[in-house]
Amino acid sequence: MAEQVSWVPEGVDTGKPSAARLYDYLLGGGHNFAADRALAEKFLKAQPNARAIARLNRAFLRRSVLFMIDEGIRQFLDLGSGIPTVGNVHEIAQKADPEAHVVYVDFEEVAVAHSQLILEHDPRATIVQEDMTRPDAVLQAARESGLIDFTQPVGVLTAGVFHFVPPQADPNAVVAAYRDAVPVGSYLAVSQFTQDLQPEEMAGIVEVMKQSQNPMYPRTKSEVEALFAGFELVEPGIVPTPLWRPEGSDTDDPDKAGIYAAVGRKL
Amino acid sequence: MELPELAARWMHALTPTAYIPLSHAEIEHALLDSLRELPESPESVAKRLVSLHATGPDSLSATIEVLSPSFELPVLARLSAAYAQAMRLDAFDQQEQLKVAIVRAKQRVERTLKVSEARFQEVFDSAALGIAITDLTGRCVEANDTLAEIVGLPSGADVVDHDLKEFYRPEDLAPLGASYRNLSEGRLDRFRDQRELIRADGEPVWVLLVVSVLRDADGRPTHHVTMVEDISELHLLQRSLDHQLLHDSLTGLSNRQHFVTQVERLLDGGPITLYHLGLDAFSVVNIGLGQDTGDKLLKIVASRLGRLAAEKNAVLARIGGDEFGFLTVNDTVTSTVEEIQDVLGEPTFVDDHGIALSASIGVVDRPPSFVTAAELMRCANAALRQAKARGKRQWALHDPHDDARRRGKYALAASMPGAWEHGEIEIVYAPVHDLETREVLGAVARLHWDDLSHNDTMALADSTGLSLPIGRWLLREACAQAARWAEEFGDGAPTLHLALGALQSRDEDLVAEVKRALDETGLPPERLRIALDISSVLAGDDNAVVLHDSGIVTALDGFRGGHDELAVLTEVPVRSVITRAPAPTPDSPLHQAMRALIATVHGFGVRFGVDEVHTLADAEHWRQAGADGVIGLLPALTSAEVTDLLRAASQPPGAS
Repeated sequence: MAEQVSWVPEGVDTGKPSAARLYDYLLGGGHNFAADRALAEKFLKAQPNARAIARLNRAFLRRSVLFMIDEGIRQFLDLGSGIPTVGNVHEIAQKADPEAHVVYVDFEEVAVAHSQLILEHDPRATIVQEDMTRPDAVLQAARESGLIDFTQPVGVLTAGVFHFVPPQADPNAVVAAYRDAVPVGSYLAVSQFTQDLQPEEMAGIVEVMKQSQNPMYPRTKSEVEALFAGFELVEPGIVPTPLWRPEGSDTDDPDKAGIYAAVGRKL
Repeated sequence: MELPELAARWMHALTPTAYIPLSHAEIEHALLDSLRELPESPESVAKRLVSLHATGPDSLSATIEVLSPSFELPVLARLSAAYAQAMRLDAFDQQEQLKVAIVRAKQRVERTLKVSEARFQEVFDSAALGIAITDLTGRCVEANDTLAEIVGLPSGADVVDHDLKEFYRPEDLAPLGASYRNLSEGRLDRFRDQRELIRADGEPVWVLLVVSVLRDADGRPTHHVTMVEDISELHLLQRSLDHQLLHDSLTGLSNRQHFVTQVERLLDGGPITLYHLGLDAFSVVNIGLGQDTGDKLLKIVASRLGRLAAEKNAVLARIGGDEFGFLTVNDTVTSTVEEIQDVLGEPTFVDDHGIALSASIGVVDRPPSFVTAAELMRCANAALRQAKARGKRQWALHDPHDDARRRGKYALAASMPGAWEHGEIEIVYAPVHDLETREVLGAVARLHWDDLSHNDTMALADSTGLSLPIGRWLLREACAQAARWAEEFGDGAPTLHLALGALQSRDEDLVAEVKRALDETGLPPERLRIALDISSVLAGDDNAVVLHDSGIVTALDGFRGGHDELAVLTEVPVRSVITRAPAPTPDSPLHQAMRALIATVHGFGVRFGVDEVHTLADAEHWRQAGADGVIGLLPALTSAEVTDLLRAASQPPGAS
């Protein structure tokens, strides 16, 4: 671990790359280590469009938050929020309405510490350290935060999260638990890597991510659809990220976007 | 080119190079401002680009490409230099932020660790169990005060650097060492053991050990955790309980259970002799002088026998109320019997009562080593019964041959309930023949078990208390079978005869049982004949009368021709009597007497039947003497065999 920076304390493994820091790097951020950047190079080799994919995914998160704001949502639960990077949910939401509340959820120590740092002076946003695949614990912590009123509609955000949830963790049941906790009229946003668009590149990504702390599980369109049980998909349904309610005239090729995006409204 | 148009082109060039978290209109507006500012202050434009997050690898080149036709090279050069610097600072900022985050994460982990360590320390310090953490050589690196207290040291700190092995008994070192190795080599997760430790002051202490292994992050064992519970009080209690379980509280001698285990232990050694002593007439003492006196006497006997046992190196136990076991090795029976009688015969005064003591003694001398202790105890007991039968102060050696005979019967009786339960006892049917017409009058239902006759089986059943349930079972099963025959063969079906044992004949519920059997099976009452044991009728039981009144034909079994029996025939309405006797040959003087007896019986209107007549010649002799029917001419058959015969008989001739 020659590249381990001297100020990195013991117990934080910078030698093993993490998906969150890889994402940050692909978005042009600086919250990453040599190991993450080395992984990013491999990732780019497997999927040369990776920077655009990251950017498009982040842009979808922004548009989905703004869409929910337009639909009257003022409180957000961002599951698996990762390390704060450019364009965080509370920044987007509070720019639209300073009264918007955001609860971030992540399990990883550094991501949590980093988020706390960013959110220190924001009374309307917080982070809880829980595993998003344990909805009971997450929901309890979210209630205890006092920032989310579960009698009012909630925007549940899972941008680029479920592709890190293995099938044996039963993602459908995880979503169902959150669905059952929020009132009718709440929204769920999902973006998730798929093998439907570029199967070869996707297989390459899966292979690369096996070397990180976060192996990846792409899903087909019908598997993504299954996550929305009990929700009504809003237009345009499940589509590659750039096609989800695009803003202006983007020139990105949807077939190379790698990720499906969708938003649903709880029935 | 107009600035707004340039701003739009710039925006389109820039947005694919980086994620800028703003709407296109917002980005375009910001870029338009930047274009206006650019000639004067390319540095602030560079800063704005970085703060907008237009920081992708291609963001700068895309910018230069769009702007180069409209701006001078020096302006663009300043913009590039300032952009690089702003990127550098931004990266530093972000790394700094990440560093702070990591330090905080680390601090939180440490805090959590501290809390959990504090919790552990609290558990460790206040545990009621002694806890020692030792390295793999056994050297103690940490121990709590409870452990120190158990091993007799002032505090946990004083245990540190001691080897736990110092507290083991030397003979425990090897087995405990092996158990510890099993843990460190991964063959076990945990072991429990009960051992005696030697305290620092040399005192022993009984402990329960629970030992597990601690591993490092790579799963390699680094330490053992030994939890120690002081169970010495428990241990003493356990031992006292054990003593109570194995000893007689009155005399303090071993009890029967303990004696048997000692017999077991010595059986494999030298030739042993087992004496089973029963005090003669002890019940007389107990009843006549009171139980307190009896108890005192028993204590005296115990202590005298105890002295003798010590002299002879014998094992002594109180194995029953007034019975003692005495076990010797390499012994001469006659002299030991003498010695026992001598110590018991010394004058004994209890509460001013002078009591003469003697014992009957059953002896098993030098049994083969393959017999079990329980078997020996039984043999000694059997010999004691024989000795007692001979009078006081007698002894008897166990006789294996005599024993075998006696035992055969008991063993058979003992196995009877199991045999019945397993269906080994069958019901068979023996034909009853009319001596005059030679026709079959009916079938007697009988028990059949192995090679035992009905009467032997019933006698055994009487001795085990099984005769009532078996008799009822016989009654019901036979009635059911007879009902099936009656249904299938009508008048061709045999009448059912049942001979009841003595107990069942007297059974108060007999009439109800018979009626219930008839009701439940549907057998018409006229198809049933019940033979009662004649002794029950002689004893005044009225079952025969009530059965008769209920329309059931009865007979008396076991008729021997006595006056009392003949008298009964005048009072009790029975159809026949059944006897068992040697056939009266015509040339025998008995022939005439039997003819006269049978004539007398006939005179009362009662028929005369004979059981256990096995040859035609005997049957003929009985016929000549005037008897009406016999049982036993043909072997008894199972119900299926009887059914086959009945079917064959009911076939019209030539139909096969």
